[in-house]
Amino acid sequence: MTSQPSPVSTVETTTNRLSTADLITVGVFAALYFVMVCVATLVSTLFTGGFGSIFLPAIAALISGPVFMLLAARLGKFGGITVMGLVIGLFLFVSGHFALSFVASLVFPLAADLIARAGRYRGRTSLLVSYVVFSYGLTGPILPLWFMKDAYVASLEARGKDAAYIEGVFAHINAGTFVVSMAAILVCALLGGWFGQRLMRKHFAKAGIA
Amino acid sequence: MDAVDARNVSFRYGQADDAPALESVSLGVAPGECVVLCGASGCGKTTFTRVVNGLAPSFFRGTLSGDVLTCGLDAARVPIDRLTPLVGSVFQNPKTQYFNANTTDELAFPCENMGMDAAEINRRVADAAGRFGVTDLLDRGIFRLSGGQKQRVAMAAAVVLGPRLVVLDEPTGNLDAQAIDAMRDLVVRMKADGVSVLVAEHRLAWLNGVADRYAVFDAGRIVREYPADEFLALSPDHVAAMGLRTLDPEPCRRAVARLAAVPAEGDGPDGRTALLRTRDLVVGHGRGRRRAFSRTVPDLSLARGEIVGLMGRNGTGKTTLVRTLTGLAGPLSGRIELDGRTARPRDLMRAGFMVMQDVNYQLFSDSVREELMIGSDADDADACARCDRVLADLDLPRLADRHPMSLSGGQKQRVAIGSALMCGKDLIVLDEPTSGLDRFHMEQVGRLLRRLAQRGRAVLVVTHDEELAAGWCDRVIDLEAARG
Amino acid sequence: MRTAATAPTSRRDGRSLDPRAKLYLLLLANLMLFFHVGLATQATMIALFLAPMLVAGRVRMAARFAVLYAAMTALGLLDPDALGVPQLHVVSALAVGASMMLPCFATGAYAFTTTSASAFVCAMRRMRVPEAVVVPCVVIIRFFPTILEDYRRIREAMALRGIATGAFAWVRHPARSLEYVVVPLLMNATNVAQDLSVAALTKGLGRDGVHTSRTTIRMRAADWLAMAACTLPLALDAAGVI
Repeated sequence: MTSQPSPVSTVETTTNRLSTADLITVGVFAALYFVMVCVATLVSTLFTGGFGSIFLPAIAALISGPVFMLLAARLGKFGGITVMGLVIGLFLFVSGHFALSFVASLVFPLAADLIARAGRYRGRTSLLVSYVVFSYGLTGPILPLWFMKDAYVASLEARGKDAAYIEGVFAHINAGTFVVSMAAILVCALLGGWFGQRLMRKHFAKAGIA
Repeated sequence: MDAVDARNVSFRYGQADDAPALESVSLGVAPGECVVLCGASGCGKTTFTRVVNGLAPSFFRGTLSGDVLTCGLDAARVPIDRLTPLVGSVFQNPKTQYFNANTTDELAFPCENMGMDAAEINRRVADAAGRFGVTDLLDRGIFRLSGGQKQRVAMAAAVVLGPRLVVLDEPTGNLDAQAIDAMRDLVVRMKADGVSVLVAEHRLAWLNGVADRYAVFDAGRIVREYPADEFLALSPDHVAAMGLRTLDPEPCRRAVARLAAVPAEGDGPDGRTALLRTRDLVVGHGRGRRRAFSRTVPDLSLARGEIVGLMGRNGTGKTTLVRTLTGLAGPLSGRIELDGRTARPRDLMRAGFMVMQDVNYQLFSDSVREELMIGSDADDADACARCDRVLADLDLPRLADRHPMSLSGGQKQRVAIGSALMCGKDLIVLDEPTSGLDRFHMEQVGRLLRRLAQRGRAVLVVTHDEELAAGWCDRVIDLEAARG
Repeated sequence: MRTAATAPTSRRDGRSLDPRAKLYLLLLANLMLFFHVGLATQATMIALFLAPMLVAGRVRMAARFAVLYAAMTALGLLDPDALGVPQLHVVSALAVGASMMLPCFATGAYAFTTTSASAFVCAMRRMRVPEAVVVPCVVIIRFFPTILEDYRRIREAMALRGIATGAFAWVRHPARSLEYVVVPLLMNATNVAQDLSVAALTKGLGRDGVHTSRTTIRMRAADWLAMAACTLPLALDAAGVI
């Protein structure tokens, strides 16, 4: 080599495609998010007994804000949030959760990713909205509760019982529960996202990590 | 063709205004040669390994000038996976350099990425495992392996593709003496296969007789290259002056043996009572039929003002013992006395503190001052004054407003110790405080220990570092010898 | 997958189904939620789902699921009105719900504990799952156990500092407790992400082109048989034969 090659600089070059290193980062954060989901399942089961996962998305939303915000800040490109939601959906499905939850965990994170991108992964409002939308990605696991009601009514009918009475009781409970659990997600995600952004400023930005 | 041929290489991390990490470094490594890069922390030796294996500038971003030919490829410009079959890499931290949770998967991993078929992969895995003596470690979860075992498997994984060069970046940082000896054997085997080895290391003694050449780095430049015989003939003072660890461990070993024979002070004629004393202590974890590990500990005592080293190879129960002494685990039987009174784990936890090997888990606040003030009232003038004193005592005032996570490893250690002093702890335990440190930082830790002892604390250091023990401990408890 | 990852895998893989067959069973279990299958069908399906577990040597796990299913079914068959305690409807409904979800959890537990990480990855690659999903999955399997270990260290560090860690502290200062735990966890996670990336890149994970697997997965007669056997009762039930 006789000619002097020009210096190689990678300081400015950032592609928009997710690199292997990005995917590993997503994996690490998804693992943390998965832990949060497990904790939420545990807590939700503790408080609501057999209705196990009814408040799962809300509790997960309350505690996962820092994970989401740090991932968004570290990656700053499209796809990370989507992949995280998708992979969690996959793990929930493989561990025996309802298959349809997979759809929710694709659609909502994708929308969240688009919203965050609109703010270039920096805008505080867009990130907060993005996190709220992302949090609805976990509504999948609570869907079977509605099948359960049907199943119980069916099993009563099979035994020749007066199902209409039961239907009345449970329909009332279910409609109420649905509204409560959806509203809880909204409130908890706002709180959790705000908390996450506070930690970002207080710790990660100051420590030079985000 | 040389395995490494670097000419006039300069590298800057990140933005151009940072100081260069490497400045016109030229170095060649011939086939089958073992070259050691040494020098104090931050001298550029790790950066050089990253340039050679292609991680800088592709992953560690920055600007590189000059020519780096690694096995004939332009390392800075070819995609890093072109280098994969030619260069194997082993890194410092055995905990985080595994990509797979299973040892066989880890060995197979490079082959899988190269797209080999299953039969070929399994043949290569078996072959590499056989040659590097890790066959009995195959098909195990990595979480059950010791640090030394992990590093051996990592070495086997580095050669599974039959590379021409292996790059080792401080591979012995966290290992005990036996594990380091095993690493040495593996390097010998690599050389025998004609593989070139490039090692960046602080600890040099284990490479005696294996290394062919030493390159001493300082501030991003190679200040001098030595052939092995010339380097090994340097006087200990000369080596120390370059900021390097000792080349001859024997004097340290003898000193440690001497310290291990020193009787506990508490039994001395001055009648000073020990802060902490154990009686017929059995430590371990798991109870009843599920007992996983238990170990009888010879009675020991720790007095205020002394530095005691706790040594012995991995698996002798050092960690379990200090966890018991600080109340994190209950004793299986026997008792522990604090100032002559039998202490419950809760009392021990209040009196003792442990600086963990990974100090990152122990820092919670957003500034050094806040960190020390956790648990105290910010309006309490007395506490604030105490905090200022502790900061001054540990050379921390200048860093008081920094985020603890933005500090260097040694600074973090000092902050953690500061938090212990604020809580008024009498016993301070440090778990491997000098792993991966150069001479200067090792001695800094030693001076810190002495200062703690002078302030009336009992200091217990769990360590493999014979230089630290020989230089700074008043006494050594060797759990391995005590096992009898 | 966690347990499988920490235990010898080759032997176990030999006696468990192909990952794709496991996936099919999972889907079947999910389908059962849509069709209100009769009790007989449900019991048959449960038995069929538990059989592979027995073959894989997971006798304890199979027994637990069987007992649980029996208990739930018994509770679901209670007649609250006849007993004169209408409140029992809640218990009864929950039991019916639980026995509905049980096939999902049983097949999930089977898939999770008998699939090695390697076989899982191999199956994903064979099903042409994009690398963008495969890589994070491998990292999760690798990193998940580490998080639990990290959490223990953090709790210990808090205890040594006299920072309350009990349930009481979580109730009194939830935000602060969460901050103390989450910040070190995330700081560590960013370090781990970097170290894992470095290790994986030097080992060629980023290479374009086909990535293979040391594990060979093949659909064998037993896999087809298990799939057919499990499909049959559901299909018959859905068609109204049973």
